[in-house]
Amino acid sequence: MQKALLLSALASGLLLASSAHAELNVAGLANTCNNCHGTGGVSAGESMPSIAGLPEGYLKNIMMEWKTGKRPSANMTRLISGYSDEEIAALAAYYSKLPWMPVKQKTDAKLVKLGKKVTEKCAGCHGDTGKSEDADTPSLHGQWSQYLQLEALKYRDDAFNMPNKQMVKAAKKLSDEEIKAVAEFYASQNK
Amino acid sequence: MSQINRREFIKLAAAASSVPVLGIPSLARAGAAKAKVVVIGGGYAGATAAKYVKLGDASIDVTLIEPNKVYTSCPLSNEVIVGHRDIKTLEIGYDGLKKRGINVLHDFVVGVDRAKKTVTTKGGKTLPYDALVVSPGIDFHYTGIEGYNESMIEDIPHAYKAGPQTLLLKKQLEAMPDGGKFVIVVPKGPFRCPPGPYERASLVANYFKHHGKAKSKVIILDANDSHSKKGLFNQAWAKMYGWEKEGMGTNGMIEWVKGAEGGTITKLDAKTKTVSSDFVDVKADVLNIIPPHKAGKIAADAGLTGASGNNFEKGWCKVEPMTMASAVDPSIYVVGDSCVAGEMPLYGNPNAAFDMPKSAHIAMTQAKVAAAAIVAKVNGQAVPQPYYANTCYSVVGDDYGISVAHLYRVEGGTFKYIKEGSGVSMMTMPDKSPVPAAYRKLEAEYAVGWLRNVMADAFS
Repeated sequence: MQKALLLSALASGLLLASSAHAELNVAGLANTCNNCHGTGGVSAGESMPSIAGLPEGYLKNIMMEWKTGKRPSANMTRLISGYSDEEIAALAAYYSKLPWMPVKQKTDAKLVKLGKKVTEKCAGCHGDTGKSEDADTPSLHGQWSQYLQLEALKYRDDAFNMPNKQMVKAAKKLSDEEIKAVAEFYASQNK
Repeated sequence: MSQINRREFIKLAAAASSVPVLGIPSLARAGAAKAKVVVIGGGYAGATAAKYVKLGDASIDVTLIEPNKVYTSCPLSNEVIVGHRDIKTLEIGYDGLKKRGINVLHDFVVGVDRAKKTVTTKGGKTLPYDALVVSPGIDFHYTGIEGYNESMIEDIPHAYKAGPQTLLLKKQLEAMPDGGKFVIVVPKGPFRCPPGPYERASLVANYFKHHGKAKSKVIILDANDSHSKKGLFNQAWAKMYGWEKEGMGTNGMIEWVKGAEGGTITKLDAKTKTVSSDFVDVKADVLNIIPPHKAGKIAADAGLTGASGNNFEKGWCKVEPMTMASAVDPSIYVVGDSCVAGEMPLYGNPNAAFDMPKSAHIAMTQAKVAAAAIVAKVNGQAVPQPYYANTCYSVVGDDYGISVAHLYRVEGGTFKYIKEGSGVSMMTMPDKSPVPAAYRKLEAEYAVGWLRNVMADAFS
């Protein structure tokens, strides 16, 4: 009886949903990311980046770098290793289509002023305000200040051996205060 | 595919057919809400389920029933005990959910009539449901330790449900003299927040260091023979708290006694705060007994818990992997700490299967799976592919965080632990050199960002 049911189920394609090669449900997959990155990919936590509206190329690249061990991370290297390349591509496409929502946060006016000056040399890639201008560069305007600081410190710290050598070179020239200032400046550009 | 059973087949067939799957004549629904969803319990799981059903289909009528007006997060409440965090930062109300059009009823559910599909409350209300989400969290078993009962928790706190109990343990810690013993009694698993007791031990030792009580001890009497993130905890303890090795009478600030070697406590003398096992008697200055857990009472009353079976099915609610629907009632979804999904891992046994840990993070992904399944069912769509994930941070010292991640999928109708996407923070760098402090600091910062996001994702 059970076998007969099973055969008819197979014939009608009903088993698709629970088969090993299940159809990719990218919204469901993204729901698991949103626990840490916020509902709809807009973060509510200062140390965690918003990911909604980041460029597709950047998102795909960063996830693939974690997966292949090229980019160190305290935690993302572990989680992302459980995702197929297809899932990573789908997630990158999904989040890139959501709107970028700059977060409103308090920033220090003095540091913002200093940051504006320091970031003049970043403008070649990041634009005047950190607004992404190409598919491989992340949006920084209105990103969480603390996240930006932590990330910049990773570029400066040899312990992380970050992959983007241009960023490493730039970060190494910055003092602690300047790193804070850069982060505060981009964070304040929340329009 | 051999895994598919008749019930699942019928469910899939129902989901794929165009017949109204909830069995309600379409006339009865005309003009009213498309369907009624009731959620019992407004913790991380219940709040998330309510929010995501509404996000998935705004025309579904969603009611969340929760006795408390303010929820206090258990994650990071160990920081409150040692004075690193104000408990107010862990508190959140239900206004965010109300703004989304969810009915929030501050009441207590006293019964579920599964035949009539209604829920009754202490306040005298009877609510009909098309789909019911049961997320009552855990209850404690106060039996099992001779001389211990529920009336003692004002003197011997568990502090394993955040709120007044957390503040009570904090007060006792602060009053403890230098050279005293802070004893944590850990129950046999499964219990919520598997690294919780060990994170607590770490932070209490940290408190001793910073408050002139360095001669004091934290003694963990554990009914289990291993525990979550053990290697990482031991490494952190050695670095910061003089950890030497397992067992009683070591020199470090933290001692851990496993179940097989005297950690299983069977007796309490409440007057002297002395706990005993077959091997040891320990007199505590501060005694923190975490009682064994079971699914919240309403889950048992509704007949959703296993009456028999192994340690992990008895007293817990078994669920269908694709949807989080109860294994005994397809109209009810059990999410959060009260469910058992997969088989419980036996820490230290490399061949063990991996159950989902009882954490806020996994509870929320379970709730999102249930919400998507409910929305699909109401709208006559196929069951969406589910995904489950966990991230669990423990802050164990100044600028020192560690974590564990888990991924689960469903293949062939059963839960599958994805080893490649899971695991703990690095013990060493790939070249075997020590992990730089910057990595541990980052995870301590991420723990806080994680907290803010899970609270917002569930309640806002």
